[in-house]
Amino acid sequence: MRRPRRREMRKERAKFIVNGRSYEVIIEPHMLLVDVLREKIGLTGTKYACGTGDCGACTVLVEGKPVLSCLTLAVTARDKNILTIEGLAEGTTLHPIQQAFVDGGAVQCGFCTPGMVLSAKALLEENPKPTRDEIKEGLAGNLCRCTGYVKIVDAVEAAAETMGKGGRS
Amino acid sequence: MHRVLLPFEFFEPKTVEEAVRLLDTANSKVMAGGVDLVLKMRLRLISPETVISLQKISGLDYIESNPAGLILGALTSIRQIELSSLVQKNWAVLYEAVRQIASVQTKTMGTAVGNLCVGTPASDIASPLLVLGAKVKIAGIHYEKVVPIENFFIGVGRTILEPNEIVTEVFVPGVPAGTGSAFLKSAKTADDIAKVNAAVMVTVTDKICKDVRIALGSVAPTPIRATEAEHALKGQRLDETMFARAAEAAAEAVIPISDIRSTAQYRKEMVRVLVKDALVKATGNATA
Repeated sequence: MRRPRRREMRKERAKFIVNGRSYEVIIEPHMLLVDVLREKIGLTGTKYACGTGDCGACTVLVEGKPVLSCLTLAVTARDKNILTIEGLAEGTTLHPIQQAFVDGGAVQCGFCTPGMVLSAKALLEENPKPTRDEIKEGLAGNLCRCTGYVKIVDAVEAAAETMGKGGRS
Repeated sequence: MHRVLLPFEFFEPKTVEEAVRLLDTANSKVMAGGVDLVLKMRLRLISPETVISLQKISGLDYIESNPAGLILGALTSIRQIELSSLVQKNWAVLYEAVRQIASVQTKTMGTAVGNLCVGTPASDIASPLLVLGAKVKIAGIHYEKVVPIENFFIGVGRTILEPNEIVTEVFVPGVPAGTGSAFLKSAKTADDIAKVNAAVMVTVTDKICKDVRIALGSVAPTPIRATEAEHALKGQRLDETMFARAAEAAAEAVIPISDIRSTAQYRKEMVRVLVKDALVKATGNATA
């Protein structure tokens, strides 16, 4: 039984819970999560860079776990909790990880930063007191062409300390 | 590299039965984590008319053990395996291999079974499972069968899976006492696909090699066992001379190719180096 060849695919209304807020958008199965976040929902903090899952710039947290939104079919993230970089700060108060990146000079061009910060968030949630090696392992899927990584690792270490002292997570 | 994917029909079956029934055309593809599939669709290496996601089939993401061994479900992520203390303690060679896969995101999205079904000779999951003597369970329409992993791969990107079949789980036997193991790989950076990988499992009694299995990745159209090297070692006293002889036998037997990641000559040489180092390490673990 062979299905008729069809490239006109069904559109559907889908709900995404991004940063605690519910969004209803019309999607098609071949749409990627990065594009739905950036173009349909308008949250451009999530960056698109390599498109092949190598650089980690498009990292978002789906149900708390770091995934590559450039290799995720949006349809598979329907009704799930998605955290993007826009969901971290509270008003004008930066999240301790963001603040540590700013304070430590861990942001240069800034393109890898949203992915870096979200990978760091996932790491610190799993392991609140990581060693430097554990930080490097946690961020291994995120490439940075500017910093040479040292200040990024420093910043995550500093954030872990702040958060350990009762700063919010 | 393409910015958007070509449209396709998308199905999310709730049962394995439904999934295998949907896989009825040559141009339909099954998706577990989607890492490899979506990447290949972006690169337009494939453009399926139908994608069948297994993600809505509940209860396929398990890691279980029984007295006979370990069982991994079709949706068990590589990250779950890495974080499993059970795997770390009892199936060290698998743990070591998944730990060396660098990107947390890829490990979180990617499944071990998906990795096997891609059929890449460079798989870092296949080599440890080959030395562990794993078996894959395959489901078709109204049947199930269990196949040794050695018979699962048939060529670059090709497995024995028929269009209507999926792998539902992998069974990994327990490791006998007195066994040590090691997994080593050579790649350009930690994040890269292996130029060569080597997994070794050796069972030692009174410094004599009772049993040994050696598997290699990226040196043939499929992941392979280095049977010549294994024969050279079995029943022998384990020392530097024997390790060197076995490594030599492994290197002699492989016929790798040159490609973007490495040359045939370098790969052959690295087989010698990795097999020797892995044997030393595994034997050390066995007697430790």
